[in-house]
Amino acid sequence: MTAIFKRELRSYFHGMLGYVLTAFLLASSGIYFLALNLGYGLTDFGYYTLYRTIFMLLLYIPVLTMRSLAEERRSRTDQLLLTSPVPVWGIVLGKFFAMCAVFALPCLMDVVMILILWALGGTVPALAANFAALLCYFLLGCAAIAMGEFLSGLTENPIIAAVAGFSVLLLAYMMPSLRSLFNAGSAVALAVFTAIAGAASLMAGLRTRSFILGCLTFAALCLGLTGLFLLQSAWLTEAFSAVLSVLCFFTPFEDFVNNSFSLPTLVYYLTVTGMFLFFTAQSIEKRRWN
Amino acid sequence: MIEVSHLTKTYGRHLAVDDVSFTVEDGQICGLLGPNGAGKSTIMNILTGYLSATGGLVTVAGHPLPEEADAAKACVGYLPEQPPLYPEMTVEEYLLFAAELKGVKRADRKEQVRKAAHRTGLDNVMPRLIRSLSNGYRQRVGIAQALLGSPKLIILDEPTVGLDPAQVVEIRKLIRELGKAHTVILSSHILSEVQAVCQQVLILSKGKLAASGTLEELTAGDRSLEEVFMELTGGNAEEETGEEEAE
Repeated sequence: MTAIFKRELRSYFHGMLGYVLTAFLLASSGIYFLALNLGYGLTDFGYYTLYRTIFMLLLYIPVLTMRSLAEERRSRTDQLLLTSPVPVWGIVLGKFFAMCAVFALPCLMDVVMILILWALGGTVPALAANFAALLCYFLLGCAAIAMGEFLSGLTENPIIAAVAGFSVLLLAYMMPSLRSLFNAGSAVALAVFTAIAGAASLMAGLRTRSFILGCLTFAALCLGLTGLFLLQSAWLTEAFSAVLSVLCFFTPFEDFVNNSFSLPTLVYYLTVTGMFLFFTAQSIEKRRWN
Repeated sequence: MIEVSHLTKTYGRHLAVDDVSFTVEDGQICGLLGPNGAGKSTIMNILTGYLSATGGLVTVAGHPLPEEADAAKACVGYLPEQPPLYPEMTVEEYLLFAAELKGVKRADRKEQVRKAAHRTGLDNVMPRLIRSLSNGYRQRVGIAQALLGSPKLIILDEPTVGLDPAQVVEIRKLIRELGKAHTVILSSHILSEVQAVCQQVLILSKGKLAASGTLEELTAGDRSLEEVFMELTGGNAEEETGEEEAE
């Protein structure tokens, strides 16, 4: 694992990518820091800089993660990794930690900015709140990196991985607005759940190469949905809104921006990270059996 | 060293390897011979744990796959069809990375890398970027990588592809030398190569094992290996000999 970590980290700084990405993120947070925190004398780094520049991660994370597994597959170097006595999770974690280390660089510069605010007369509670916000920002980034690594493992083409990563993050970013759109009534929920059931049955049918099984799955799911809708339609709407709120990836970060410390938020980001790393390892494992 | 029984591998509906059984004894150089698409690379990928078999039993150095995959992989050095190289690294960096990946102890890494590089004639290109190397040198870096960690079993998928005639002779010499201390499996569609270095030969055709045995057994009754190969692999033979002449 350490061998992969070191090689991966070095490869970001062998070329331009590591420097360019770090500069990109630093420039955006630097501008907000200069204009708002220093310009107006605001001590809240979490809101004025981190929260307002968080959309930069929509570009930063997909570019950072796009090559991680896709490039290995394209250049066949995955054969070296997968035939060496390193377990699959060692490969996944080594790459993940290397990308987190690259992401930690701009975050370390953020630490300097926070310390500057403190040195210029910020209070200790403000300092603590700023550090808490930075911690949450870093964990959010790590969760997004895990997701990007998973997407990169699905394809041989880094560009496709980047576009997929951007789309997923954009969807998660817009989810709060989309959710209010969907909350109109349970009819929308039914339609969406039916579409999900359709997609699931299509997948089941394609995987098993059986048309009948796909149709049967769809029929069973629709029957279940109709039953639920007729008897307990509140369940459906509640479940629907609960699912959507889990997909609002950037919303939990707001807890930290309001100068509060929220353990559930940290648990949420760590869970997302763990889940996607697990999926990544599973998808690599699965490909060997095909 | 290797026991394979009733090995089967399907890609979707395509049957790539069909009920192949063989054993390779310790200290042998075994040649896997067959036309393109006969399933040589697939078998090698399964032996090294890169792919999983659809059916059958595979035991490498006493470790059944895929249950004890990590223990088996530690005994194997592998050169895939396309050498797995990172173009942005130098040869030395790459070999040190591969040594660490194979769990070579820190103190031994430099020495092992130096030895492997020396055996494959890489001494002069150690500080160069892999990106700037010719195909022949890339192939040699791939072979050097397979030697690191002194594995009991070395698997080479078409090791002399892309090398010039002098290098081919050198690599064959190296393989024969390796055969004294390691078990070596190499695949090839070049008959003369197999004849030059291998003691045992497995001939594959369309995923099936067409023949196996020592060179003497296969060429018994004054038949050349070429004739045996043509007879066993059928329609592909002419094409294959054409390729051989081109080499």
